[in-house]
Amino acid sequence: MAMSTKQGICITVNGVRHEREVEPRLTLADFLRHELALGGTHVGCEHGICGVCTVLIDGRSARSCLALAVQADGCQVTTVEGLRDRTTGHLHPIQQAFVEAHGLQCGFCTPGFMMTTLELLAENAEPSDEAIKEALGGNLCRCTGYESIIASVRLAAQRLREQKRT
Amino acid sequence: MAIKIPALPEQLPTAQPRFVGREVQRVEDPGLVSGTAEFIDNLALPGMLHCAILRSPHPHARVVGVDTRAAEALPGVLAVLTGEDVRRWSNPAYTAPEGWGAYCIAVDKVRFVGEPVAAVAAVNRYVAEDALELIRVDYDVLKPVPTPAVAMAPDAPVLFEERGSNVIQSRVYNWGDVDRVFAEADHVVQNTFRWNRVGANPTETFGCICQWDISDDSLTCHGAYQTPRFWAMARALALNLPTNKVRVIPHPMGGGFGGKGGPRGTDIAALLSRKSGGRPVKYIEDRMEYLLAGFGQSWDRYYDAALAVKADGTVTGLKVKLIDDQGAGTEGWGTISVAKPLAAFTGAYRIEAAQYDTVLVATNRAPTGPYRGYGPPPHFLVLESLMDMAARRLGMDPAELRRRNYIRPDQFPYTIPSGNEYDSGNYEAVLDKVLAMSDYRGLRESQARWRADGRLIGIGVVSTVEPGVFDWNAYATVGVQGIGVPEGAKVAFDMLGNLTVVVGFNLQGQGQFTVAAQVAADYWGLDLGAVKVASAPTDIGPPSFGQGGSRLGVAITGAVLGASEKLKAIFCQVVAHLMQTTPDQVELMDGRLRLKANPQVGMSLAEVAGTMLGRSDLLPPGMEPCPEATFVWTAEGRTMPDDQGRCRSYLTAANATHVVMVEVDRDTGRTDILKYFIVDDCGTRLNLANVEGQLQGALAQGVGAALYEEYVYNDEAQPLVTTFVDYLMPTIHEVPMATKDFVVTPSPVAPLGAKGCGEGAIHTTPAAVLCAINDALAPLGVEITETPASPHRVWKTLRRARAG
Ligand code: FES
Ligand code: FES
Repeated sequence: MAMSTKQGICITVNGVRHEREVEPRLTLADFLRHELALGGTHVGCEHGICGVCTVLIDGRSARSCLALAVQADGCQVTTVEGLRDRTTGHLHPIQQAFVEAHGLQCGFCTPGFMMTTLELLAENAEPSDEAIKEALGGNLCRCTGYESIIASVRLAAQRLREQKRT
Repeated sequence: MAIKIPALPEQLPTAQPRFVGREVQRVEDPGLVSGTAEFIDNLALPGMLHCAILRSPHPHARVVGVDTRAAEALPGVLAVLTGEDVRRWSNPAYTAPEGWGAYCIAVDKVRFVGEPVAAVAAVNRYVAEDALELIRVDYDVLKPVPTPAVAMAPDAPVLFEERGSNVIQSRVYNWGDVDRVFAEADHVVQNTFRWNRVGANPTETFGCICQWDISDDSLTCHGAYQTPRFWAMARALALNLPTNKVRVIPHPMGGGFGGKGGPRGTDIAALLSRKSGGRPVKYIEDRMEYLLAGFGQSWDRYYDAALAVKADGTVTGLKVKLIDDQGAGTEGWGTISVAKPLAAFTGAYRIEAAQYDTVLVATNRAPTGPYRGYGPPPHFLVLESLMDMAARRLGMDPAELRRRNYIRPDQFPYTIPSGNEYDSGNYEAVLDKVLAMSDYRGLRESQARWRADGRLIGIGVVSTVEPGVFDWNAYATVGVQGIGVPEGAKVAFDMLGNLTVVVGFNLQGQGQFTVAAQVAADYWGLDLGAVKVASAPTDIGPPSFGQGGSRLGVAITGAVLGASEKLKAIFCQVVAHLMQTTPDQVELMDGRLRLKANPQVGMSLAEVAGTMLGRSDLLPPGMEPCPEATFVWTAEGRTMPDDQGRCRSYLTAANATHVVMVEVDRDTGRTDILKYFIVDDCGTRLNLANVEGQLQGALAQGVGAALYEEYVYNDEAQPLVTTFVDYLMPTIHEVPMATKDFVVTPSPVAPLGAKGCGEGAIHTTPAAVLCAINDALAPLGVEITETPASPHRVWKTLRRARAG
């Protein structure tokens, strides 16, 4: 329980390399939120159930509350802050779809849903409602009742397909 | 100056509203999807410390000693707070009824598992939690009081010794000639019900940053506060500060549903700040703390209720006996949830007489608090279940029994026996629409076919009334005082004609900034994005209550419109002076102040505001150069309660009927929702997507309460639910995607005709699902009257059927 010794890590977050000395017990969520000031990754339970803290680690969705920062050493992490187009500032089609299809109320769960959606749509450009539910089954939302979230994912998929065609 | 607020959207000063009543994109969303919204844990202040709280593992014990020396010696720890400190610096929570509150940290004894016994402020949360492990607390364990039955036994241990008993309040209300209608009834349908404790569980827990200014003993609290002024006042009372020395800065919240604004957490962080010499102290409640001791556990109830029914199906009387387990005192204002059903006691029906027998009891469970609906959802589960039981007794279709008893459109405004007045409604139109939409007859035919195949298929048809726009008088019966719930807004133009609307609350998810912007944009002929909505801290914002009681959408609409009307009158004076006419010759239309007689001639908002702020020489003599106005709205016509609690309380009465079809699995007791239909009427829909979102979200919470969610305690009052592994929040797989439609009966008494609708479907869904399950079980001759109707409970009921 005494202060543990720090460990050097290097994590690339949204394309930017960060080298830091951290305590081994520091969670990835706390690292992102409090060390890097990337507050868009929220924390809802800290025990792996709600999915609010979902980020992508090397393209795979992961619960940043359960991962330690040291475990992500050498990895590429993507968070909600990485969704916007960096040059134009435009919202990512997934973000835009959540706005247009009213896929959020309080918005606290939304980054987690959008990151899970990013992973889903990378693998399946035209998911059925069942596939959407399967993918989002590990994300809790207390506000929306999920209907508008499914609509948002459908709209996002459509937009991304259109974008690919043009 | 009497302000006339537009009663319908058509009365707005625009040829055609472009935003009110339309589908619009919410103004709050870009920040929320970008991850830049400033939820409280995203804020860090210079020099900030982090708080962790040590909590009692015992439901009932005397605190004999607290040794904090080792914790204080840990590097990185700046302050440790104990019962000794809070006894010196603060007061027990103010409650209604009075005298059932505790200090923010246990002084002498603990009364529930999770009650704070000490707290630490340290350089980060990790170190603060390390320090908790070094604190030694000696307890003298007392016999726990796990249930109201134990609490009311003659030799029961007493939680609040100075009260002398565990009964907080025991009161019987009689409205009308109850004995006569029951004596004259052809049938009396009676049953007992158990509603187990559920809770709000927003995805964001409570959090705050408190800073004690040691130079003048004042306090600033940033945090997730859903009713900021209310909490500011309560903190001042708790912390012995003048009320003008507490400043609450509300941040966007990750949901609330009633329980947002941890008073103990705030007081602890505030006193840690005081003890650490004025450093800001952040406290973020974690999920386990929320589940143990958070501020949203609700409705732990035992009912015994009866309906008096005539042979033709006319319901004449309702008796409800309620024993309500409030938990360890009333610091969470759980008492209100017993009082609120008075606002809609007899639901959608013409029931002439009613009785409400209430016993509020303290036990060693966590104190209860507000949760969406704040009382009526379990009440309607009881009333609507009895309606179905009556229909079965009479051999009537449950939809038709309801139709026969509805308050008719020509009877509004309608005063119910418990005193409240419903403003308007058309319950039969709502029923007809949902029956048509669901093909109710077709559903019944399918049910008959599937039943013949041996499947357990049930249909629920349930109608409720949602009291909207609360007033304090609704809770007078449990000791809450006052009439009127002021909600203010300031509309302010700057020199270039840009508009800011200042409100006294912050985002919580219901889209109220968008509603304020919609109303202001249509009133002033602006684009939605051109209106800036800003949240003001409690010391500078207008009087405000904020989110609560299905009220804010209506109230903020009234406030923005009232302020706009005031400002328009000023603008008309300015324009009249400049054009050498009288103000009554000037009108506002689509964003221009123009001459009624010659609409071509007029001024833009920028010209008027710019003149006011930049050319005082052109203004009417004596006029203030202030293109701003504030209006504070409250519902008119609210009345003082009589000795039976009767008064005009909630302003509006929205109505809904749900039709649901379920299948119960014979082998496992599991319930699947096959179809779900909702038709509702909340008057003018200010924002279609907002209303639909509230409905679907409340439906999800209703499904949770009906089938999954439960705070389980064992016989020793130990909570068994401490994570989301145990507290079963509905996921995307459990929530039915309801088919929805609506009827619009504008409220004749509320701004723009809109009724409160934020609590929505949670009033109806638990009852609808339970009625459907019991319809499925009816051929077996058994019924379930306990929620959640979990597979295990239903399976036990099915076994009873088999045992015959
Ligand atoms: S916060 Fe990580 S799963 Fe809930
Ligand atoms: S939008 Fe609030 S939890 Fe999902």
